[in-house]
Amino acid sequence: MKNTFGQYIRDKRERLKAQDRSYSVRQVAMRMGVEPSYLSKIERGDLKAYLTEDKIRALAEDLGEDPDVLLALSGKISQDVQEIIRKRPLLFAQLIRELKDMPDHAVLRIVREVRDGDW
Amino acid sequence: MIELKNDSLVFTFPEVHPKAKLTIDFQRTLRIPDDGKDYPLPPGLGRFPVRHIDDFRANLPKQWERHGGVMLPMYQSEALWLNFSSDHIPGHGTDYPFAIKVATGKINAVTGDNWTDWLQGNPQDYMVAPDQPWLDGFSVEKGFIRQFVAMPLGSGYSAEEQLTGSGEFGGLQVMVYPMKRASFERLFPKQVYRRRLDDHVMYSLAEPCMDMGLAPGGRMRQEIYEDPYDMDDWEMGHKSRCFVHLANSLVWRAVTGDNPPTVPMTAREYADHGLPWFEYYTDGAGALDGSKKLNGLKSVTEKGIEKGDNPLPENASVFSDPVINLS
Repeated sequence: MKNTFGQYIRDKRERLKAQDRSYSVRQVAMRMGVEPSYLSKIERGDLKAYLTEDKIRALAEDLGEDPDVLLALSGKISQDVQEIIRKRPLLFAQLIRELKDMPDHAVLRIVREVRDGDW
Repeated sequence: MIELKNDSLVFTFPEVHPKAKLTIDFQRTLRIPDDGKDYPLPPGLGRFPVRHIDDFRANLPKQWERHGGVMLPMYQSEALWLNFSSDHIPGHGTDYPFAIKVATGKINAVTGDNWTDWLQGNPQDYMVAPDQPWLDGFSVEKGFIRQFVAMPLGSGYSAEEQLTGSGEFGGLQVMVYPMKRASFERLFPKQVYRRRLDDHVMYSLAEPCMDMGLAPGGRMRQEIYEDPYDMDDWEMGHKSRCFVHLANSLVWRAVTGDNPPTVPMTAREYADHGLPWFEYYTDGAGALDGSKKLNGLKSVTEKGIEKGDNPLPENASVFSDPVINLS
């Protein structure tokens, strides 16, 4: 899982760096508040390297990525989602399993939309 | 799709771009005097509460259920403005652009024409966010609008009633188109923020009429900007639209169980406290000429004189100073 996460953020950062030099390992690490060598370890998939949820969110913000996506790639679930699940764990476990094979558009319909009518 | 979050309409288009998100909220504000003078932008006094129509359908007119959408409470002669904010896209140095159509009673607020379900370029009948950060009223002249002021539907004041002779729809209608993803890559508009002030408790003078329409109030200096992009840059295959019903604040509690917000302060009270007004002009953007149709409408005060009514108490002129430039 960590290799996937590290490879993903490295690819994204390198793409950004091709257009903007401020996306070097050093500068991204400085902006998210970690040592450059530590970010390098993360990108290489060093199993000992670990980012907290706050650092992943800062990285997502810097790279223009969705924090939930990066959290999932790093094997985490955000605190607010964890709290939601803890309140009704059986219900949400069942729901997520049922959603597993549904296409994106069907999942999106579960989110409550503002209904447009006839006017 | 459109979701209702924190009293705001959140338009997302994940099929176009994962971060294509526009938020529209409806800001409470003071009503500027309808006295023939031109005023700067008033402040935002917080968001109106917004609710799903479907949550209260048992207490609402059948027509509202048919329209779908959402509702918010307004007092008679209360003003509102629409606040547009699109998500900043890191790495691109820009906010995602959207074309936004706004109508009141299905009368386009930019052109005065009847509602259509598509974008029209000539004359331009929509606004572009983030260039256009807000809309306070009907575009009546280049650089000037007449403030959106709520009046009971059926009383003859609304733009819809003045132009069509009937108050069939009322409310506000909003439709949003995202920019095509390919076009987005080369565009870098800027974002600005308008200062908001805390709510203040004042008075109430509304009548218990359920449905409100928006009428042209006092004149305000506000430009509606030309679309700086090509019509082909807009993703015409993906749009979202919403009917925003305006419920009289006096029936809001009976319908929803919640108290409506208190009446905002008057322009006089605001000015007496020396609180700031605002001006915003963006560099290089051309402004639309304004609608002759909308400019021909009678303002609430003018209509009141014609009807022998006094629909706007507390309409004395005020000295709008200081003015803060937000450009």
